[in-house]
Amino acid sequence: MIHNTKCECGHQNPTGTVLCESCGKPLVDDLPLDSPLEMRYDGAARRSQKKNPAVIDRVWNFFSSVKIAIWLIILTLVGAAIGTIYPQESTFINLDDPAAFYKETYGTWGAVYQALGLSRTYESWWFIGLLVMIGTSLVICSLDRVLPLYKALSKQQVRKHLTFLTRQQTVLEADIPGDAEKWVADFGAQLKRKRYRVWTEGTALLAEKNRFSRWGPYINHIGLILFLLAVLGRSVPAWHMDQYVSIDEYQVKQIPGTNYYVGNDKFIVDYYKDEELPDQLKGTLRAKLYQTEATLYACTQYCNDDPLHDPVLEKVESHDIEVNSPLEYKGLKLYQYNFEQKIRLIEVKPMLLDAKSGQSYGPFDLKMDDPAEKSEAGPYTLTLNDVYPDFGLDEEGRPMTKSRDFNNPAFVFRITGPDLAEEGELYIYFPMPSADDKGVQQQINDSFKKLGSNSGRFNFEVGKMENVKFSQYTTFLNVRVDRAMPYVWVGAAISMIGLVMGFYWHHRRIWLRIDGGRLTLGAHTNKNTYGIRNETASALAKCGIAVDPKALDNRRNSR
Amino acid sequence: MNWLDISSTAFQAAFYLYCASFICYAIAVAGKRWSNREPELHNRRWGRFGFILAVAGWVCHLTFFFTRWKGGGHIPTSNMYEFMTFLAMAIVFAFIIVHLIYRNNLLGAFAIPLVVIIIAYAAVFPSEVQPLIPALNSYWLKIHVTTAATGEAFFAVGFAAALVQLLRVIDFSRTDKAGRREQRWVEFVLFFMVVIIGFLVSVFAFRGGGYEAKFQQEKVSINQQGVENSVTQTVEYGLPPIVAPYNSEKLSMQPYLGIKDPLFEAPSWMNGVNAGRKLNTVIWSLLSGAILYGLLRLIARKPIAAVIHPHLSDIDPEDLDEISYRAIAIGFPVFTLGALIFAMIWAQIAWSRFWGWDPKEVWALITWLFYSAYLHLRLSRGWQGTRSAWLAVIGFIVVLFTLIGVNLVIAGLHSYAGV
Repeated sequence: MIHNTKCECGHQNPTGTVLCESCGKPLVDDLPLDSPLEMRYDGAARRSQKKNPAVIDRVWNFFSSVKIAIWLIILTLVGAAIGTIYPQESTFINLDDPAAFYKETYGTWGAVYQALGLSRTYESWWFIGLLVMIGTSLVICSLDRVLPLYKALSKQQVRKHLTFLTRQQTVLEADIPGDAEKWVADFGAQLKRKRYRVWTEGTALLAEKNRFSRWGPYINHIGLILFLLAVLGRSVPAWHMDQYVSIDEYQVKQIPGTNYYVGNDKFIVDYYKDEELPDQLKGTLRAKLYQTEATLYACTQYCNDDPLHDPVLEKVESHDIEVNSPLEYKGLKLYQYNFEQKIRLIEVKPMLLDAKSGQSYGPFDLKMDDPAEKSEAGPYTLTLNDVYPDFGLDEEGRPMTKSRDFNNPAFVFRITGPDLAEEGELYIYFPMPSADDKGVQQQINDSFKKLGSNSGRFNFEVGKMENVKFSQYTTFLNVRVDRAMPYVWVGAAISMIGLVMGFYWHHRRIWLRIDGGRLTLGAHTNKNTYGIRNETASALAKCGIAVDPKALDNRRNSR
Repeated sequence: MNWLDISSTAFQAAFYLYCASFICYAIAVAGKRWSNREPELHNRRWGRFGFILAVAGWVCHLTFFFTRWKGGGHIPTSNMYEFMTFLAMAIVFAFIIVHLIYRNNLLGAFAIPLVVIIIAYAAVFPSEVQPLIPALNSYWLKIHVTTAATGEAFFAVGFAAALVQLLRVIDFSRTDKAGRREQRWVEFVLFFMVVIIGFLVSVFAFRGGGYEAKFQQEKVSINQQGVENSVTQTVEYGLPPIVAPYNSEKLSMQPYLGIKDPLFEAPSWMNGVNAGRKLNTVIWSLLSGAILYGLLRLIARKPIAAVIHPHLSDIDPEDLDEISYRAIAIGFPVFTLGALIFAMIWAQIAWSRFWGWDPKEVWALITWLFYSAYLHLRLSRGWQGTRSAWLAVIGFIVVLFTLIGVNLVIAGLHSYAGV
């Protein structure tokens, strides 16, 4: 269909224009003649309405359609909902065989769900594809509309075509006796008091307010685009780190992939006392506080597992990490993630007991993770012969260590000193205060005695509790770096500003003209027609035309 | 008398004031054609009573809120009871705002009963003040929950207006397929509300009668380290068990209607906290709701929608459309801020990631996407009026699912918001 795009007022409009850019006369007769006009984007032509579209135009047209955008929103919505039917795989840590797990836990439907890939909905190509398409649609829809709208709003004519006025949503026709120009000036003054900007041209008037609210949706979209880009930016490896470290109390550990070390100085779990709980919860363990007293160190020298030197650490930050209070240092954040109650020895200060003389020597320091090669206890020297951090027996009954963790440490010392043979005597020592361990210790020392390695006169003893330093809890910290976060927040903030602009202010325009004593008034707003009717009626009343706000509603007249 | 006593007294006062307000609004709307009165004047007078009572109720509700805050030591939005009472308070707030703009009594006649129902629903949950767990111990509890609930409250008012609109425009003279479908669906929405009332009636009736049944349930869960854990727990029922919890044994049960054992067991895929008991509650609600609805139909001898419809003729559907749209337009930015942005900020602080596709997060996003679609659809012709009213109704059902349904059927990080 070819329209004559030249309006009767003489203005040449681009193809696709719905309302003449100059006088506002409707150019397309697709709606009933008495119905309110389609005022979207002020009837301006958009790029997507170009004739004979090329491939790139077709892509543009596709994404510029609000209909397509709504479909994308609905599809994303449905996809997201499907993803909540069963828990996603990402909620389980160490899921070795997801297929078997879903079958076992959720039955056949769970297995089907997993096989269809729905247990990874939010990482799936189609879901991310939908988000990317929404992003594209946001960009193109906005560009396609904001430019023509901006142009249309920045060059508005004051005197509009009569059809344009009578087909607004808010309409009034009345007779104005007396001086038309004076009435227009008075009415303009009334509208100015309502914070309208007013332009007059003879007996025609245009009053406008809150035009900026029209940019709200587009600002919101810009914010959303920035937000989505920032979310995509999180997949840049250098921008993102997500690690878990488990640290015993008094332990200092390197954060993998960084030059930082973190120490757990103390871990506190606090539960509510019974008198603090309501009757229903009495007798239950209700946590009050989880706290890791953490210290962050930066390594300045010998950082990368130098076998000859211990790393040189410099304290940079300390913070009591709680669930709602992470430690933050230069973009690095440490969060309280979990904890485990597990006793681990850190250091003991045992006495060397001589059964022959009944004397005890020492105490000497024994650090579990870093025992000294030689220690002195009275006149005796203890040389470390062997360490089993996690003591166990192999199939042939020989001592071995099950792991490198200090779960059940055992130390073999060669003791030399006065009255002893030159090669000394061998003793094994289990610092853990368990009866089992003490039994094994006795057995092994007895077997050493049989072999002639010792005479059985020495024993070890930790006297007071203050000679034992142990960790009661292991804390699990989540270490994060997220360099995209500032952009996420800026995007969200911009989006919010746009929403507030668009929803809490309303763009209102009132046009009128008086032709031979006959007033024709039309008013338009994109939201809250109720408000503009009240405002118009109140201004009219002050200028001598009493009218019920409802009577201005054009839709009612046409019904 | 301590703060918490004042608080619960104020709460009861608020409840009764809302009930009285609803009665006034109902009289304002239904009594216009009573003899010896000017319809316009009658409507205005009783509507004013209704509004004054609603505001008085709200003031009591605020008193409840702040005295409980003072007495409990933390903001009362930390469990389901507190959240639902807060939501009801927010809905009254949203109603007051929208009413002051549009001054239409019909809105009160539908928004206030919604508030009454939500308060009654809140009373189903244990009302004792529970001390905060570490995850909730943050000032974001105040900010996030209150703004999210306020946004949702405006959606609720939008729903109320949309429902009036649907009842207003429904055409009972139509016998064609589309017309009948519309009548059926409007009636269904009303039936759904009757079911909720049925739920409340059965809960409070059996609670009043002191009914109790107990089950021992074995729950197998897999923890963060991938280790299987089996926990046995006692599940207490306040309603006679038609459904037993999954994988459970009966400990004690008072017989009802001569039935001594539950009829069947809840399916395993319902993995929310106490899912079996909740399913049982749903079944009871449907049963008692159906009975209640049947009684209403017997009395009225026509669909409930047809009973209400004639009273709504003095308002234009366009005005209702506008009220509904406006309420949602006011609520949308607040909801975005509270349920998404503040939620993300808190999640970033507490859980180290701003977004983790937790079911509650996803459903907040779904709600937001749904209302975004609603707002965009309104740009096009033909999606205003009835269709948009339907969307506003469905939107509020999505909101309710996000608030209650997610905790009921889907477990997740927000599971503490259950009971």
